[in-house]
Amino acid sequence: MRAARTAYPLTWRIMDVLEAFAAFVWPTSFRRAIPYLLLAPALLLVGLLVLGLIQIGDLSLRTLDTSTFLLSENYTLANYRKALTEPLFVVVATRSLTGSLIVTVVTLIFAFPYAYLMVRTRSAGLRKFLLIALFLPFFIGQVVRAYGWLIILGNQGMVNEALGLIGVAPLRLLYNYPAVLFGLVQYMLPFAVLMLAPALTAIPEELETAAASLGANWVHSFIHVVLPLARPGLVGAGLVVVTLSLTDFAMPAILGGGSQDFIANAIYDQFFRTSDQGLGATLALMLVALGSLLVGIVFTLFGAGTLAMGRARQ
Amino acid sequence: MITSTSKSVILWGFVSIALIVLSAPTIVVLGSSLTAGNMITFPPEGLSLKWYAAILRATDLRDAFLRSVFVSAVCTIVAIPAGTFAGIALAKYAVRFEKAIQVYLLLPFTIPLIGSGIGLMLIFGNAGVLGQLWPVGIACCVINLPFMIWAVTASAASLDPDLELAAANCGAGPLQTFLYVTLPAVTPGIISGSLLMFILALNEFLVSLLLVDARIVTLPVQIYNSIRSIITPDLAAISVVFIACAVAAIFLLDRLVGLDIFLKSK
Repeated sequence: MRAARTAYPLTWRIMDVLEAFAAFVWPTSFRRAIPYLLLAPALLLVGLLVLGLIQIGDLSLRTLDTSTFLLSENYTLANYRKALTEPLFVVVATRSLTGSLIVTVVTLIFAFPYAYLMVRTRSAGLRKFLLIALFLPFFIGQVVRAYGWLIILGNQGMVNEALGLIGVAPLRLLYNYPAVLFGLVQYMLPFAVLMLAPALTAIPEELETAAASLGANWVHSFIHVVLPLARPGLVGAGLVVVTLSLTDFAMPAILGGGSQDFIANAIYDQFFRTSDQGLGATLALMLVALGSLLVGIVFTLFGAGTLAMGRARQ
Repeated sequence: MITSTSKSVILWGFVSIALIVLSAPTIVVLGSSLTAGNMITFPPEGLSLKWYAAILRATDLRDAFLRSVFVSAVCTIVAIPAGTFAGIALAKYAVRFEKAIQVYLLLPFTIPLIGSGIGLMLIFGNAGVLGQLWPVGIACCVINLPFMIWAVTASAASLDPDLELAAANCGAGPLQTFLYVTLPAVTPGIISGSLLMFILALNEFLVSLLLVDARIVTLPVQIYNSIRSIITPDLAAISVVFIACAVAAIFLLDRLVGLDIFLKSK
């Protein structure tokens, strides 16, 4: 009896029962369905977003009756006409688009050297320091970071107090367009570096050495070797930064102080201030369309870059 | 390789600016939370821990923090199985319509947060669950799910399929192979993914703002509501809680899987 127990331990018994159970509820002939079964929970969760978009689409076709504050029963395209012609929305859309482009360029200019140094440095300590300096703000969240900038840049903030000590009159550093863009660049830097780093790791260092031994100085080898090979990373990073800054809410709301609204702030106002859910839904749907269009264009032109998941990535 | 002097000067110039810009808010918030004055001033009026004592007494801040932790827990508990299974399926099986499924699973990233947030607000509103906390957790899980799937696919892709065949050859059933070979191989991915999900949900602001009402505000929303009125040092002290959570997450991430995992070329 005792010998039998050591030869057939308890864990094996449990495993065998579980295997038998698994084989009973899921016979081998069903094997082909396994990947789809594994995917089901994720597909269902993302399905909530699709349902949400359908709801938004439905709302966007109803107009608000200003006398009863009810949404119309029948569908019209009036909201879309209003969204495209209303000067305020045109101003907000232009501001967000130019802003996100400026933020992307500036972010990539600073993210590239950061990622490059992080990947290429020989010192493990420096690499860890750079990684920690990157992850700390990434994990702290937008509101706390914006709060830090309020303390630094406010009218009685650190910069102005320091300027006051040397006799310079206080500057208005907050609640303007540059403040919002600055906040967005800081918010986007970790995303951009983390998208760029794997692409730079994939570039063999020997290529740069080879370019140097053939007489290229570092500027040439950077322009002709590193930059072209880093394209997948640049595409991924640029895409993430453009879409996230175009659709950001917190930085324009906190550092713009209500005067520098981006599209997301305008949508929020339609839902919670003006209570015109139809118009808000229209703007939201147009923003979704714009974002998808951007992603679609970049994907078809350059491929998915570092954004692809699973086997397609290899 | 950094040899040329001009190259390292330019490189370090950009990196130093980036480092200052990245760290300034964190350092300033930490410093301000230690002020002895009743206002945030520069230079600070002496050191004291009185604002930490103040936030310990402030039940509204503590409740908001506990609600945020609950939301993150719901998010992570839902994300672990959903993301792990999806990641394994994408990395190991030839799935029909793989391209389409990839695009579909990237929807949380391609749909702007304000769009996702409002869509989920309408869905949860129709279902009559708005005003509870768990839908906020589900929402945070949905919008960040690709992070979890990425983390798992990265680990699963590095698992040699021959190992699973070898296990089967030695008499292990499909379930045993999964539990003893596949799952341990993707564990680093599950750990880094779930840490990411937890910390991102803890900090999630816009979707929380759309889904909570005044009775169940989460901590980021509470801070946002307060900084629009007046900036007092107790907000800096409560913000330090976020910084502490971030430091803990980075430490765990580094200990369990190593931060270098994010530098690996895929």
